[in-house]
Amino acid sequence: MVSLGFVAWSQTANDGLMMSNKNLCTGFILSQDQWTNYWEGTRLRENGNIGTLKTQSLAWMGNYGVSGKFNIIAMLPYVRTEASAGTLKPMQGMQDASLSFKYQVFSIKPDSLTTVKIFAVAFGSTPISDYTPDYLPLSIGLGSRQIGARLSVFAKRKSWYVVSSAGHYFRGQVQLDRQSYYTNGELFLTNRVAMPQVFDWVSGIGRIKNGLETKLSFTHYRTLGGGDIRRQDMPFVSNRMNMSRIEFLTMYYLPKARRLALRASIARTISGRNVGESTTVLGGILYTFKF
Amino acid sequence: MKQQLLTSKYWLLLLVLSFVSCEPLQQDENFAPTSIAPPTEEDAVNWKLIPGAPVSNLAQVSVPVPTATTSSDYAAELETIRGLQKNLSSEQKKIIAKWSSGGVLRWNRYMRELVARFALAPAPLLDGTYPTPDAENPFSDPVFPFSNPPYAARAYSYVSVAQYQALQVAWFYKFKYNRPAPHQVGEGIEALVPKSTLPAYPSEDAVMSAVTCDLLKVLFPTAVEEITKMAAEQRNAALWSGKASPSDLSAGLALGKSIAALFTARASGDGMRNAIGTKAQWMVLADSASVRLKKIGRDVSKEVFWKSQDSPVRPPMLPFFGKVKGWILAPSDFTNRRPGPPPSTTSNEMAKELEEVKFYSKNSTRERIAIVHFWADGLGTYTPPGHWNDIAANYIQQEGWSEIRSARAFALLNMALHNAAVGCWEAKYYYFNPRPTQLDASIKTLTGLPNFPSYPSGHSTFSASAAKVLTYLFPEGTEQFKAWRDEASISRLYGAIHYRIDTKAGVEHGSLLADPLIDFAAADGADN
Repeated sequence: MVSLGFVAWSQTANDGLMMSNKNLCTGFILSQDQWTNYWEGTRLRENGNIGTLKTQSLAWMGNYGVSGKFNIIAMLPYVRTEASAGTLKPMQGMQDASLSFKYQVFSIKPDSLTTVKIFAVAFGSTPISDYTPDYLPLSIGLGSRQIGARLSVFAKRKSWYVVSSAGHYFRGQVQLDRQSYYTNGELFLTNRVAMPQVFDWVSGIGRIKNGLETKLSFTHYRTLGGGDIRRQDMPFVSNRMNMSRIEFLTMYYLPKARRLALRASIARTISGRNVGESTTVLGGILYTFKF
Repeated sequence: MKQQLLTSKYWLLLLVLSFVSCEPLQQDENFAPTSIAPPTEEDAVNWKLIPGAPVSNLAQVSVPVPTATTSSDYAAELETIRGLQKNLSSEQKKIIAKWSSGGVLRWNRYMRELVARFALAPAPLLDGTYPTPDAENPFSDPVFPFSNPPYAARAYSYVSVAQYQALQVAWFYKFKYNRPAPHQVGEGIEALVPKSTLPAYPSEDAVMSAVTCDLLKVLFPTAVEEITKMAAEQRNAALWSGKASPSDLSAGLALGKSIAALFTARASGDGMRNAIGTKAQWMVLADSASVRLKKIGRDVSKEVFWKSQDSPVRPPMLPFFGKVKGWILAPSDFTNRRPGPPPSTTSNEMAKELEEVKFYSKNSTRERIAIVHFWADGLGTYTPPGHWNDIAANYIQQEGWSEIRSARAFALLNMALHNAAVGCWEAKYYYFNPRPTQLDASIKTLTGLPNFPSYPSGHSTFSASAAKVLTYLFPEGTEQFKAWRDEASISRLYGAIHYRIDTKAGVEHGSLLADPLIDFAAADGADN
């Protein structure tokens, strides 16, 4: 039920790679996320009035190297949702634009085969269309502005690398179209919803060789507050959405045109709370311009 | 230069923080403590009783003669209050402030919270059937009750009418015995709420706490602990604030309990227990509707009747709620006011209606979605009757009314909303008309599809009945209530779950059902 902008984004902001000075890597990423079972609180169930929920997104991405140590990453996703059963109308539209500032804080080469780097990332995102967040699970997003920061440690030896990254996000209040709502055991008589903060942690191991990068990673995403979906209730924007995901990613730089790269990944939510037990398939094409 | 740099950093920080505005939520109605005591409303002893309601005579429940304020027993009670007032904690002062904005408003708000908490339909079992919430086993899954709109309308009405009648009896005895409040007679006893000359025996707070507590315990049994604590809190606030003595409270408590018993007796025999019906009864609903339409000369061979579109198929919501006892109106008053039949599902007129629904389904705008969601009041909310209570509470709060006048307003509103539920559900199952999505599967809705027949629209009926009562009570809001009524009504067409005819018939029906209540209100003597 959490929109997937962050999945595609996190790859670039979390990884240990930097665009070189005055290089722009840009392209489009297409993804499809779907689930049939979801966690109503901690209870895994299906819902005959939803069937399978499919969320497709097409995102533009740009990563610009202001310098070899400082990158700016932007994302602009278009999202579409659809339920295979029930009567609820699909939704679509521009979701949340995001901007990240990635800075290489530290770099050391203990020997000629090994590199260790530390990155700090500042992140901000904002909804760029007036979509309704109060129509879950068919809302295209949560309608909340976010700011956050993350720290990543990247270590590479020969062609192998490990990366670990943790982030913390503050989310702004969300405005609903209605004047009252009930969540987390309380009736609220306002159209504004306070959004709990989010913490995430990603760890991965990968290999880059002959223009082919492969990576296996684990994401631990926790909402630090919020209520559960009650029995047979609809999900709500400030629910405590938690998930643990496993992702396999591959990126291929074409041998003849090394500026052109293809990206593909598959991710699966293996445990969660107030989210779908989803599988996400993602494909992207990226091109690097040199200025 | 350095100074400038610091300033720009500061602004950057402010900019970043304002980006995710973290100002605290204004999460509640502005139930500020009143600074002026409400009128004592001595004339309320002459207000007519609601015809057919459980209390038919003010002396029906007796309240014993109180001890004199000069007695040693009473002096001991005053001493108790003095002792309590000396050691009030900030927590206790907060409780006094909370209740001083009006008990009727407080309880109404709490009742809306209870309805929202329980407004969830049972989840299906693995075999595709649905368990029924059981009043005898309320803590199981599904919990009891499922406070859907008719259940909620009935619940709001029982509590509101019982509070009003209990306060009418309390007022009768207050002015019969005329025993002043402790803060008026007790040396050194402070009035921690605005001073009023309203006689204190029996305590209106105790009466209200007891009658509300006993009814809510029946209506929402699993919340018993919370309800009981809240009732005790209201009585404590009256005691600590110098408003009522222990004997004012105990007389009020006894009176409230006696009146609650009259209402729970009515509730157990008002037809609600049969409103869900049985599988055998559900099976013949379509056939019965078919027979009725045939009688008025319609060719029913191709007529389409309502079916549940939930998956798995869910039993219809309260098909026999139309037989539940109304307030003031007799069963024949409901059937006489039933809207005429909707057009045949095979007619051109219906095809046009369906075309319009399809248009709104396909061409949903952001503005229309906002209207749909503003009025949806679906599962997990305080329901449409709760929404109109919310609206009423904001008006009542601004008036600075006495408890008894506020209670009258909620009683009138909630009797109308309950009658709207009875009348509307009677008509819905009488005609058993299908939803637009049943006639055309390509229609997608912008809110949850209700699991009961389409014609007439419940939101429209509720809103028209409520708007009519509120217009009587607050004539300055006439245009506003009408605008809200129409918006609530049309929101169901915008949401693609109702035809325009459903909304029109509902508005007319709701208005018609409220008329007898307005006639009563105009003649009960309260507005002279």
